[in-house]
Amino acid sequence: MSANIDADPRDFVEGLPNIGIMLQEITEVDSSLFVTAFWAMLETIEIAFIGTVVGVAIALPLSLLAARNLNNKFVYVPVRALLAAIRTFPSILWAILFVIIVGLGPFAGVLAIIMYTVGFIAKLQYETIEAVDTDPMDAVGAIGVSKLQLIRFVVLPESASHLLSQILYIFDYNIRQTSILGLVGAGGIGFYIINYIKFFEYGKAAVFMLVVLATVLIIEWVSVRIRDKYIVKSQRGKQIKA
Amino acid sequence: MSISTLSIVQMNDVSASYDSKNYVLKNIKMSITRGTNYAIVGQSGSGKSTLLKLINGMMNPNQGKILVDYKIPNISDKKFKSFMHKIGYIPQNLGLIKNSTVLENILIGALPRVSGLNSFFKKFSDSEIDNAKKILKLVGLQGKAERKVYMLSGGEKRRVAIARALVQKPDIILADEIVSELDHITAREIMDVLAEAQATMKLTAIMVHHDLQLALEYADKVAVIKEGEKILEIGVEGDKIVDFQSGNYTQREILEMFSNKSEE
Repeated sequence: MSANIDADPRDFVEGLPNIGIMLQEITEVDSSLFVTAFWAMLETIEIAFIGTVVGVAIALPLSLLAARNLNNKFVYVPVRALLAAIRTFPSILWAILFVIIVGLGPFAGVLAIIMYTVGFIAKLQYETIEAVDTDPMDAVGAIGVSKLQLIRFVVLPESASHLLSQILYIFDYNIRQTSILGLVGAGGIGFYIINYIKFFEYGKAAVFMLVVLATVLIIEWVSVRIRDKYIVKSQRGKQIKA
Repeated sequence: MSISTLSIVQMNDVSASYDSKNYVLKNIKMSITRGTNYAIVGQSGSGKSTLLKLINGMMNPNQGKILVDYKIPNISDKKFKSFMHKIGYIPQNLGLIKNSTVLENILIGALPRVSGLNSFFKKFSDSEIDNAKKILKLVGLQGKAERKVYMLSGGEKRRVAIARALVQKPDIILADEIVSELDHITAREIMDVLAEAQATMKLTAIMVHHDLQLALEYADKVAVIKEGEKILEIGVEGDKIVDFQSGNYTQREILEMFSNKSEE
């Protein structure tokens, strides 16, 4: 096994001091680089944010069409097939495709994130819709309301907390994904990281990676706050005490 | 015979099953007079809830014929769908939207009168909102319109479900074991609310219970169902329980008969 992948634990142990060298290089980095890293991170967040918002907006109607409890098989089967096709590619492959189509830059990154978000959120959301409690569906359905009214007054409120949870997760995930889309020229902070690594400037690369780490931690903290406020209390059926 | 004394629900030899083998209901004959309070009593699994699903068209009988206000109930039938808002159905688990407010929940009852676009933006006319608020007052939920349903007590949730059904402006209310999990006092409060609404709005109430005493206290007639068959149809007249099928009995005799027949 180890022969096939050329894995040798001794290499790891012998390479550990390189971390020290990298940390040493960070201290030697010009502080103005943090400003560059900040703006690159902001571009990454923008790509992830726009990609997430547009992706969710497209995913939501698709998930309603893909739910088996709302449609017949002539509707949900082709929509599910389309979503499965979209999910086939990871975001980095979508990014390569869009770089070829629209050229280098953040727009290709936005398109890649949209595609990934659509495939991912639509699947999670149609599974959530199919798991919506049948009691309110039956009770409201028995009033003789239209399908649109059933979706608006039962399906959406009953699945909203899950959708919010999924959006927070995919936004967090998209930030991390967007950070590497720069590797293929699709904008964001990854462009800098890959170039510094190529030129063996590990200290500078590490600065950019630390900015990514700090951003992910901040987003995680904000997500927890939003979850506590809007999701947890409704799922537990009670309010969270501060 | 005036129109008010005509049957609003008529069942002739109705049998129903979920798997077309094991019949949940067998040869049910029933005639429910418009404007009355009718109770269906039986033990768990006796087919009581299935009876309600047959009346609101959520289920179709395997044999026999049902007429609800001269129409054959079937939710897949477009003709019947336009009549469905005239039947206020309160399922055993109430079917409330727990993340929505009390007012949003009860306005669902008004949806058949609201256009698709307006309902998408949750836009209801002032008269609908005023009517909903009046009904909130009738069921004793004034001041709680903006409260989320998950924050309410069991009794309050039942009041919301009743209010939603009343906002439909129904002719018939179907309630499936609406007080089964409540304490004695709250159960009577809820039954009083329903009785008052039934009298005020001149509704036909068809309620499923497993408590015969409670059913006799509130209903004009009580059908006792056992293993899918109607074994008795009784009611209270003065201090006597009247068996509408075979004669008069004392209350004690009928209760003994009910417990014997239920245990057989």
